[in-house]
Amino acid sequence: MTNFLARRLILVVVMAFVVSFASFALLNAAPGGPLEQLIALQSTTRRPDPDEVERVMKRYDLDLGMGVRFLRWLIGHPRGPIVIGGQELFTNFQIGCLKEGKARLVYPDGRVEEINCAKPVYLRDLADRPVSNGVLALDFGRSQQLAREQPVAELILLRLGPTLQLMGISTFLAIALSIPIGVYSAVKQYSRFDYFFTALTFFGSGMPTLFTGVMGILVFALLFKEAGLPYLPSGLAESNRDAVVPLLGTIKAGSLADRVWHLILPVTVLTFFNLAGWTRFIRSSMLEVMRQDYVRTARAKGLIESMVVMKHALRNALIPFVTLLAGVLPTLFGGAIITESVFSWPGIGKLFINALVASDYPVAIAYLLISTFLTLLGFLMSDILYTVVDPRIRLS
Amino acid sequence: MASTTATASTARIAPSKALVRRSEGQWSIVFRRFRRHRLAMISLALLALIFVASLAAPILAPFPRDAVGLAPRFSPPLTIHEGKLHVLGTDHVGRDFFTRLLYAARITLTVSFFVATLATLIGMTLGALAGYFRGIVDGIVMRILEFMASIPEFPVLLIITSILVTDPKLLPIPRFVLDFMGTLMLLSPVGNERAQVVVLIAVLTVFGWTGAARLMRGMVMSVRERDFIEAARSLGASNAFIILRHVVPNAFPPLVVTYTLSLAGALTSETALSFLGVGITDPTPTWGNMLQFATNFMLTNSWVPLIPGIPVVLCSLAFNFVGDGLRDALDPRLKM
Repeated sequence: MTNFLARRLILVVVMAFVVSFASFALLNAAPGGPLEQLIALQSTTRRPDPDEVERVMKRYDLDLGMGVRFLRWLIGHPRGPIVIGGQELFTNFQIGCLKEGKARLVYPDGRVEEINCAKPVYLRDLADRPVSNGVLALDFGRSQQLAREQPVAELILLRLGPTLQLMGISTFLAIALSIPIGVYSAVKQYSRFDYFFTALTFFGSGMPTLFTGVMGILVFALLFKEAGLPYLPSGLAESNRDAVVPLLGTIKAGSLADRVWHLILPVTVLTFFNLAGWTRFIRSSMLEVMRQDYVRTARAKGLIESMVVMKHALRNALIPFVTLLAGVLPTLFGGAIITESVFSWPGIGKLFINALVASDYPVAIAYLLISTFLTLLGFLMSDILYTVVDPRIRLS
Repeated sequence: MASTTATASTARIAPSKALVRRSEGQWSIVFRRFRRHRLAMISLALLALIFVASLAAPILAPFPRDAVGLAPRFSPPLTIHEGKLHVLGTDHVGRDFFTRLLYAARITLTVSFFVATLATLIGMTLGALAGYFRGIVDGIVMRILEFMASIPEFPVLLIITSILVTDPKLLPIPRFVLDFMGTLMLLSPVGNERAQVVVLIAVLTVFGWTGAARLMRGMVMSVRERDFIEAARSLGASNAFIILRHVVPNAFPPLVVTYTLSLAGALTSETALSFLGVGITDPTPTWGNMLQFATNFMLTNSWVPLIPGIPVVLCSLAFNFVGDGLRDALDPRLKM
């Protein structure tokens, strides 16, 4: 077990490194960076101002070599000459180039050197530059487009609440509903109940949330409002001003009732989608278990049916369900990108999409890194949970 | 039933119809079982209809694809403007909805088809190689699969697509591919239109092959230990022959099902990406970006999202139903 965990943790670290490296590469390959924008902005009116270009390059470390940039992005270092015992080392170590071209360097001892850089950047130049604390310390730098210069972590924290609400409630509902429905469908296989829910889950998993969300808005927000029925809001997490709803009365903007009222539609759409998949999963897993010998034995020794189902069958049927829950962890944080977009929900998924559309890659990459980490953590947790719920499984 | 399946050769060999009962081929059994699945048959017919309509888009479409201001914006369905009928009305810049829907069907279905086909072929090949040869090949393929499984797929897909679609030059695409795809989907050679679509196909394929590979690998590993493989090998059959003639056909039924389901998956992915604004962008019509614009205006024109929305959900459900029907037909034991 310890051995297994150690190996798994190493894998997590390796994966995290690979993904952060890949993210950094993406960040740099991404079009529409600060420099390109500056050039695009200026070339419409005048030629790019060289001073301005240099300023932007310094601000975003664009003049540094890739390795140095990666280190500064990952751990927030180097921040200047390396100091060991009061001695500054490598102050004149060239780490980048601000301006391309040829330059002649004449050293005090008379040595002359030609270098391929008109304005080299040395390690000592980094001392007066702003730098983040590094991605490892959860400092993802500053937003470039959505909210200029605001730290990415702040942007994410601001939106964590709505996402946790939406995802937490819908995930809880989906689990709480899918287990009884799946079990009952399996126990009463081919009953009317079973057919109804099998058909429903089939539609649920076949219909994209995109469509169910839009249709939900169309019916419950627009048509209901027109028909004078108690309608639901079409988006956002709370209203800007008090709303008067037929039968329900006035709903004060920002009150608890208002927030619950806004949650109903997106929660329903998400729950329906998850419910569909999970119910099918539990149903088939339960059907499989009900055929096992020990279930027959339990029946043969005269146990009442509810005991057989709940104690003998259900417990074993839920084991594979644990792995499925591993996938829930990253979505609790990351939100449902499509649903949040459809309902303009001010959550993290919507932030991610806004960042992508606006080419604000620091924000997008932060989202990606946290999601990846949580995905890995989810897998690790499901592995451990597996051994807890099923003592037959030993990790080695 | 048997008469419909009689082939020329069996008819020649059979001396007396009374004595020899013609054996029914595997695929005709499958087809017979499939036909009993009513929803799957309806779905298949519907898909065929949409497919043919999209093939005939240039003939059926009453207006040019991107022509704007044909009628006042958001003219409702069945509007007649300047003596011309707009069957499904017009969009937010007065383009004909029916015309754009047809062209969008052509693009969306082609993208889904290529993504599902390429992903399944790649997955099949890699899975078969990994399962058959084990060793290093298996190690590499499994590591890639593990890697793909432990990244959050949809966000990564979104970020890569958004980068590549914004700047298609990052992914060099051979000219003939662009020309071929452009002709197939009636895309204009001017601008980024063709590159965008090809990039989307490429990215979705890269993220789509893992399911088929895992399935194929498992199937091959269970089949390769069987006696008939041993027999074939002892008769001197080459690896390639064994894989193509014995292993692949045995692993085929579940692959057909996953193929159909991955068509639905590719369709919804493409729609979602274009809806979110990181996939194929306006003016190139796809159901996804039409839906995006429709939702922007739905508070004032509530009927608009139905026009691109209904084809999306019909196709998605239809692919799922066909997959379900095929699953029942190919292997009754797998029936849900």
